[in-house]
Amino acid sequence: MNAAAYFLMIDMESEARAIARGLRRRDPQLLDRLIEQYQHRLLRYLLYLAGNRELAEDLFQETWLRVLERGHQYDGGHEFVTWLYAIARNLTIDYLRKKRPISLDGLMEDEEHAPAEPADTQPLAWEIVAQHEQAERISAALVGIPADYRETVVLRFQEGLALDEIATVTGAPVGTVKSRLYRGLNMLMSRLKGAQA
Amino acid sequence: MTRDTHDEARELITLGDALSDAQQIWLRHHLEECVSCRDYAEGAAQMVRALRSLSVVADARLVRTTQMRVRFHAARLRETRERMWLVGMACLGVGLTATLTLPLLWRLFAWMGEQAGVSTLVWQAGFLFFFIAPALVVSVVLVARGNHVNSHGQGSRQC
Repeated sequence: MNAAAYFLMIDMESEARAIARGLRRRDPQLLDRLIEQYQHRLLRYLLYLAGNRELAEDLFQETWLRVLERGHQYDGGHEFVTWLYAIARNLTIDYLRKKRPISLDGLMEDEEHAPAEPADTQPLAWEIVAQHEQAERISAALVGIPADYRETVVLRFQEGLALDEIATVTGAPVGTVKSRLYRGLNMLMSRLKGAQA
Repeated sequence: MTRDTHDEARELITLGDALSDAQQIWLRHHLEECVSCRDYAEGAAQMVRALRSLSVVADARLVRTTQMRVRFHAARLRETRERMWLVGMACLGVGLTATLTLPLLWRLFAWMGEQAGVSTLVWQAGFLFFFIAPALVVSVVLVARGNHVNSHGQGSRQC
């Protein structure tokens, strides 16, 4: 391990410990900062997990309330974002179980759950419109694959989590994560190819 | 080259940077020889780039609302914790006082019973009543208050 990587790791560890201390104290300033810091990443994860913007926003708020309540359970032993995603995931599953006893995969058959929205763009130039359409196609393809695979693909390629971190968040063995990643990406590629054909 | 070899190579391609040195060397070697896996690798790389280009933005309203809810909830949790601490301290104080004054009260009741010329059973029953009277009063008040709140709540719902 080179020196830069070593110091980065030390820095991340002390950051995680500082967050753990702050969460134990229920420090409002720390929570404000964390909400701002992870706002886009958490919403994106929830959006692709739940498949619906309104629900994702509700779950976003509930996740932070849960972080406040259970902050003492975070020991700073691993990255905060892994713990945050695990909380968000459990809340989503609880919500979907209460709502109706189906698997997460059932979401994509529901008409009211529209594909995830990409960021707003100003459709002034052709390039922006084309980018927007491409983003919509990818979002639609992503929402179209089974939730387990979608979640793994999002966590790996959008959120940049390592395989063992994804395993921690999803509660699945690393081998399963690898296979979901492979199959998920294949499904996504074939869906996009089908859409373009 | 078997189909399994290609599958293995493609699985490794999807893992991206999570490969060991040996796996990387093997994959590089395989990609030099296999055109279809090379195409797959390019397709996967494009897919990953496209995925990373997707942006989902949380608007400022959502962030503000969340921060406000979290602060409000934190204040409520803090109040509850403080109240529980006060209740705990009060219970501790009552317990200590009761333990210290119990022998004195017992002697006082015995002396009063003796002065009044009543039987032991009577002053002991009096002592017992005196001892549990505060708890009884508090229970009655709480039950009455609960009934009042319930009937008041139902009344206001009926309006």
